[in-house]
Amino acid sequence: MLLGGFSVTVLLDFFLHSIYGEKGQTNRFVGLVQWAFEGMYKAVYDIVPDRVMARSIAPLALTIFFTVLISYWADILPGVGHSISWHGGELLRSLPTDLNFTIALAITSMTAVQFYAVKQHGFLGNAKRYVISPLKNPIGAFEGFLELIGEFSRLIALSLRLFGNAFAGAALLAIVAGLASYAASAVLPFFMAFELFIGFIQAYVFYVLTLIFASLATASHGGSHDTAHDSAKTKEVAAA
Amino acid sequence: MTQLFTQFASEAAAAEASNPVKALGIDVKLLVFQIIAFALLTWLLSKYVFPVLMKAVDDRQKRIDEGNTAAAEAAKQAAETETKLAKLLKEARSEASDIVATAKEEAAGLVAKSEEKSKAQAERIVAAAHETIEKDVLTAKKALHNETIELVAQATKKSWARRSMRASTNSLSPNPSRGERLICKANLAGARSLSM
Repeated sequence: MLLGGFSVTVLLDFFLHSIYGEKGQTNRFVGLVQWAFEGMYKAVYDIVPDRVMARSIAPLALTIFFTVLISYWADILPGVGHSISWHGGELLRSLPTDLNFTIALAITSMTAVQFYAVKQHGFLGNAKRYVISPLKNPIGAFEGFLELIGEFSRLIALSLRLFGNAFAGAALLAIVAGLASYAASAVLPFFMAFELFIGFIQAYVFYVLTLIFASLATASHGGSHDTAHDSAKTKEVAAA
Repeated sequence: MTQLFTQFASEAAAAEASNPVKALGIDVKLLVFQIIAFALLTWLLSKYVFPVLMKAVDDRQKRIDEGNTAAAEAAKQAAETETKLAKLLKEARSEASDIVATAKEEAAGLVAKSEEKSKAQAERIVAAAHETIEKDVLTAKKALHNETIELVAQATKKSWARRSMRASTNSLSPNPSRGERLICKANLAGARSLSM
């Protein structure tokens, strides 16, 4: 929790510094933040076909990406994880290694998706995606039921994927540090670099999945081809 | 060291017996707090941070688009200008060749005209010269004629005067001298040419 606050502070500082600090001036750091933001912001438009939708979902997806990225990367800071204990637990713990945080992110993300779906189709229209009369369309009813289960499985998958990766990474670092003993200084940096890479991948996956779920939920029912394309993309990303 | 590796396992094993949710470390209070915190962060960022950055990105994109449009327009304009230039050049060339042709024609006409004129003038001069010469000849002829007449008259007078003088001094010779005969012949010729 402590480290979570620290990560968020760092994130905010990055952004605020890049906007409000040194007005009119640009340096490499500001350029880096702006470059990262621009890349991710443009990617939103590539993933979500509807421009208005992309514009409205972008802040949430971008916040998820940068928060996950920074807090995940905080994992490799010295003193984070198992090295300092406090009352039998860890004093500093990076946010994604805490299941509470990943579930909170997933709940926020899926709630936002439902919110946009209701906004797009109306409350009843959104409900019709899940509840279809079996008398009219038995197969459709089953599909709707599966869809409802799918929403929850997505939530759980989102949270567990991030948690699993982050927790495994933290454990890996601790174990490698223990195994390498005095050679840890030489060995650990490679694993840390790998963790940085995994951190980026996981942040990107969470961000892309949020966008895809949102665009799937708001897609009109006519475009079956688009939906198939999107779900293929979803599987591709989820496999990562 | 062993504690490090086994702590999760032992904790989990201990907790799992009582509550599977607790075993994963899920704390509802913490969860709700995280949700609220994250929502707050999202709200803060989307209110104060993202609009500024988005605007910057959009502005840059707009500028790039504008630049592209301007470049395309400039290229189009350049092509247009080039075609116009080629057309103008072609026109100018044809005009120039026209002018040259006209000038040549005109020059040829002028030359012909001046040739004609000079020929005419030369002819006139020649004619005038002929006339003058003829006149001169005529005058000379007249002058020669008059002179001849005068000479003849003088000679006749002289010879008559000499003959009359000889006749008066001597007796008139029955046979005229050779000179007298010549003069008489000349007189006769002169009289004949006059009468002609």
